[in-house]
Amino acid sequence: MTRLRVDPVACDGIGQCALVAPDVVVLDRWGYPVVPEGPLRAGDVVAARRAVMSCPRKALWVEEHARDERAVRPGADAVGRTRS
Amino acid sequence: MRPVANAPWVDPTAIDRTWRSSSAAPAERDPAVRHDAVLLHDVWWPLTEVGTSTVPGSEPRMVTEGLDEHLAHLGPRPSARDESGRDALLAALDTVDLTGHGGAHVPVAVKWRAALRVDGPLTVVANGAESEPLSSKDATLLRQRPHLVLDGLSLAAEALGARRAVVWLHGDDAGTRRVVQAALAGRRAAGEQGPTIEVVSGPSHYLAGESSAIAQALHGGPALPTVRRPGKPGAPRTLVHNVETLARLALLARGRPAVDTMLLTIVGPYGRHVREVRRGTSLVEALHGSGWPASEAPVGVLLGGFGGTWVAWDDVLRATVDEPALRAVGLSLGAGIVAPLPAGACPVAETAAITAYLASMSARQCGPCLFGLPALAGSVRRLADSSAPRGERRRLVEDLRAVAGRGACHHPDGSVRLIGSMLSVFGEHVDHHARGRRCTGGVVMPVPEVAR
Repeated sequence: MTRLRVDPVACDGIGQCALVAPDVVVLDRWGYPVVPEGPLRAGDVVAARRAVMSCPRKALWVEEHARDERAVRPGADAVGRTRS
Repeated sequence: MRPVANAPWVDPTAIDRTWRSSSAAPAERDPAVRHDAVLLHDVWWPLTEVGTSTVPGSEPRMVTEGLDEHLAHLGPRPSARDESGRDALLAALDTVDLTGHGGAHVPVAVKWRAALRVDGPLTVVANGAESEPLSSKDATLLRQRPHLVLDGLSLAAEALGARRAVVWLHGDDAGTRRVVQAALAGRRAAGEQGPTIEVVSGPSHYLAGESSAIAQALHGGPALPTVRRPGKPGAPRTLVHNVETLARLALLARGRPAVDTMLLTIVGPYGRHVREVRRGTSLVEALHGSGWPASEAPVGVLLGGFGGTWVAWDDVLRATVDEPALRAVGLSLGAGIVAPLPAGACPVAETAAITAYLASMSARQCGPCLFGLPALAGSVRRLADSSAPRGERRRLVEDLRAVAGRGACHHPDGSVRLIGSMLSVFGEHVDHHARGRRCTGGVVMPVPEVAR
């Protein structure tokens, strides 16, 4: 599962992302990027990466897998802490 | 439209008069909602000067529980340093389902398990920076029961193996700071065991109480919200708990009832009434206890504060102080704020004043908040003034969609929620405004003035 994320604090609304990946990123009426909420379609991943590369503020990134809050690492005890 | 006749809160002399004789406040004689209080005695805060933490002379006098009294009442604090103490506490958290009282109601056990899964030096924070202008329950709790909160913070810091334990306050809350520092000095003098606790006064602005802003500030940055980005493993982490949550944790650790009540700030006709109410109490009963007359039904209630939701009076009649039940119907008490809108007041004008205030409190970091909130506030203002051009309401709905969920923090979402609830609860009233009618009379909610 791949998601495109934007850090709205870092973003200055320059708009390069929407220029290089118009099918994945659209701009709101103030010029700030709106990215897909859920996982990217397989065909959009390359464009999403292009958007990440294009950002002069490094405000975008691609997340490879959604973290599962309840996942317990192997070897962890009942409260999820790994014994050292 | 009728004038706001039965709303003494718009008459400053009435407020002042009643405020000064607050010892005779109605809830003092209201055994139905008082008898099982475990956290505090109810207190009236003034309606004036809402939005500032400390105004000399305007704060209610409160008796602070000393360490001796605290220990005589509850006994010593159990330790959570070793594994068995920590596991017992986690099990207790699961059993009673203690949730956060800062507004989001996230289960404490979920936060703890997430914190225990990740490595890196941890800072645990007792957040007493109560930014919602209508709320004063956290300041009241800290001033009355500082040791209960400090016990909770110590327990969380021990159980999670934290490097730092911090009480975080607004910079202008000198009164609470004095109480907490005196309590810490008392604990040191008595040789109390436990983690070292720092008191840190942040800035006084609205978002200085937001958890990612606190985290950034405690690691040397500005007290402004941030987004969590993929970080290096082992990076410093911060866990923020509201002070009421920690006070309840301190009761839970001692095997005391910890979740049978909820702290509310009820905006009453005479002042803001901070009180502890039994869960399941009907909202109407709680309002009557805070001086709202049974005879004059309000137009509705603002639930959860300025970033909360309007609730129609008919729905208020069915509602109880029970967060899960409220959530099931799309409502929330948030940080426990209940603010009725008296009969005759205009919900559109109130919403316009509140959204203008919220827009002015943006950290101005994220585009959708920086530009979106003033756009939303402008639309609601034009509707209130009946100066809205054709299509204003449609534009407003589009902007709500454009702003929702797009800030680093949830500040913009509060305005979206408030305006969305205005459109759905008071839709007919908004229609009248959209057709050019306007209400006379001013804003009755105590909304802080917006600096221009």
